[in-house]
Amino acid sequence: MICKRFFCLLVGVTVVLASTFAWSAEIHGTSSTQYGWFTDVFSGNKQAEFGEYLNLSITKIDTDGKLSIQGYGRVTEDVLNGNGDNGRLYYLYADYSNLYDKVDLRFGRQYVNYEAGSALIDGGKIDLKSVGPIAFSVMGGRNVIFGLDGEASEMRSFAFGAGAYLAGFKNTDAEISYFMKFDNDGLARDQIGGTFKQYFNSFKFYANTRFDLPSETFTELLTGIKYFPTSDLVLTTEWYQSYPVFDSTSIYSIFAVDRYQEALIKADYTINDMLSVNAGYTREFFGEGNDGSDVIGVGCRIRPMPNLLVNLNFDRNNGYGGNLSGGGADVTYTPIKPLEVAAGIEYDVYVFDRTTGDETARRYWLGGKYKLTKNTSASVRVEDDDNAQYKNDWKGRVVFNYDF
Amino acid sequence: MKRIVLILAILGLGLVCMQQRSYADKKMSHAEYAKTAIKDCNDCHKGEGVAPNHDSDFVRGHRVLASKAGNNCSQCHSQSWCLDCHQGGGNGEDLNQSNARRDYEPKSHRSGWLQIHPIKAQDNQQSCYRCHDEKYCVACHSKLPQAGLESKGFVSHRSTTTDQSWASDHGREARRNLQACQTCHEDGSVCKNCHSAQGGGGGVNPHPSGFKASNYNSRSNSKVCLQCHLPGTF
Repeated sequence: MICKRFFCLLVGVTVVLASTFAWSAEIHGTSSTQYGWFTDVFSGNKQAEFGEYLNLSITKIDTDGKLSIQGYGRVTEDVLNGNGDNGRLYYLYADYSNLYDKVDLRFGRQYVNYEAGSALIDGGKIDLKSVGPIAFSVMGGRNVIFGLDGEASEMRSFAFGAGAYLAGFKNTDAEISYFMKFDNDGLARDQIGGTFKQYFNSFKFYANTRFDLPSETFTELLTGIKYFPTSDLVLTTEWYQSYPVFDSTSIYSIFAVDRYQEALIKADYTINDMLSVNAGYTREFFGEGNDGSDVIGVGCRIRPMPNLLVNLNFDRNNGYGGNLSGGGADVTYTPIKPLEVAAGIEYDVYVFDRTTGDETARRYWLGGKYKLTKNTSASVRVEDDDNAQYKNDWKGRVVFNYDF
Repeated sequence: MKRIVLILAILGLGLVCMQQRSYADKKMSHAEYAKTAIKDCNDCHKGEGVAPNHDSDFVRGHRVLASKAGNNCSQCHSQSWCLDCHQGGGNGEDLNQSNARRDYEPKSHRSGWLQIHPIKAQDNQQSCYRCHDEKYCVACHSKLPQAGLESKGFVSHRSTTTDQSWASDHGREARRNLQACQTCHEDGSVCKNCHSAQGGGGGVNPHPSGFKASNYNSRSNSKVCLQCHLPGTF
């Protein structure tokens, strides 16, 4: 219900600003009217809904063009089972950039991402820049958590953070940041994050970490090198480790846990405009014992004609936790400029440790999109899922988009 | 803790010193290249000694690129570009993108995701929580029956607490994927049956070596500790 009100606010902002600032402001965005159908996994009932997705950008509100408003949300109405409406406001914020040429201000619902943590907040973010080779950022507000059908935030869900990052070195990126999260029971999460990237002529070295203050543990640590002798070939090698981490207010935070590690090598090669290939191998290590898992993945992208694109990929995970082999293939064809048709298949064969035989999951899909005018388009996508739970589970969407 | 403060102090001092020097090689903004084809980006990047960064590995590796307090991506992408995968949304333009109920389903969630996610969730335990709060997992799993449910993939769920293999099996699996336990046993009451210092469960110590009890005590206003310990005993 709160989200529905926010969505109405989003629409209201559009209308009010369209009339108030019509003399100067530019309003752009996409209105997406959709009809979708799917199966509710809990009731097993087929659900059909009409929805309106609105993505909005209002710029040049002030004479200097420093103020803008960005919004994105949806509201849907079930028309089959009488389950009513549902809404989600993804963001709606006002952005004021280059205050005194040094400060960016952003207030409202927004997504904030620091190395130390990310959150969707109802609050503010302030960036201080152009004061040297280091730029600074601080944010805080109510922590918005989406559940299945609505918000799952608690009464005292808040998130705060601060960061500093390099902005003045051409071949070096670095950030250090702090993130904290509150819930009803206290300080649920506080951690420090850092990232570093250094570019050489044909090398890139990078590292990234998170340090959990309550457990005093590096919960994530990643180091890697990318080697790119040409712009068509990228070789990657990485090592990563992590510990599970829980909110300090959760009973699970006090349990002993094992370290997870993985080592990866990957190659990505664009042979020519018609063909690119990639392949990778990951060795996963669980705990301190011998349990591990081998993951291989290969893929290719084929463009035999300018208006035909084929993607193929396959991966195989064999080891601790079960076996999983599968992949996907899709083809996109543009016979005439306004028309695009696409189809694909995804196929997985898997076996859990406990089950005695393989299970399969398959998905077949087909879609088409037609550009009606310069700023309108219509599309349809239909898919059939065939797996251990459903023999034939049809779902899809019909979409009419209007860019304004 | 003192070490952390010391490290932060040194870093802070370093930052202050660096602020004093001039900087000629200011990072360029890529905003004007937002609609450039990736191939053209890569050609230029290579010439500048920068690795091509929107390769086939992008889904897995982009968290390293999304740095500078989020300002790296925002030069070319609106927040909806991130949130369509991280929080939901989707205007239906991408025919390759499936839907999970009302929102786009990330491309990392392939075929019958409901069926195969128990295997995927045992890889890197941090992966799920980059997009989902633990409350999201609980919202689904709490609707499942808590008794008589066949829990695939967990050796420990083949036996009961009276079986000899229970102690080693459940301990090993819980240490490796405790987040999976949390999705169904949200409040940990089933764990406390044996691990609580109160009652007749035996008080089997679940803490890791070097456990920083005071850190959790202060952050949760003792609420976490009081779930298993009597006041004044910890």
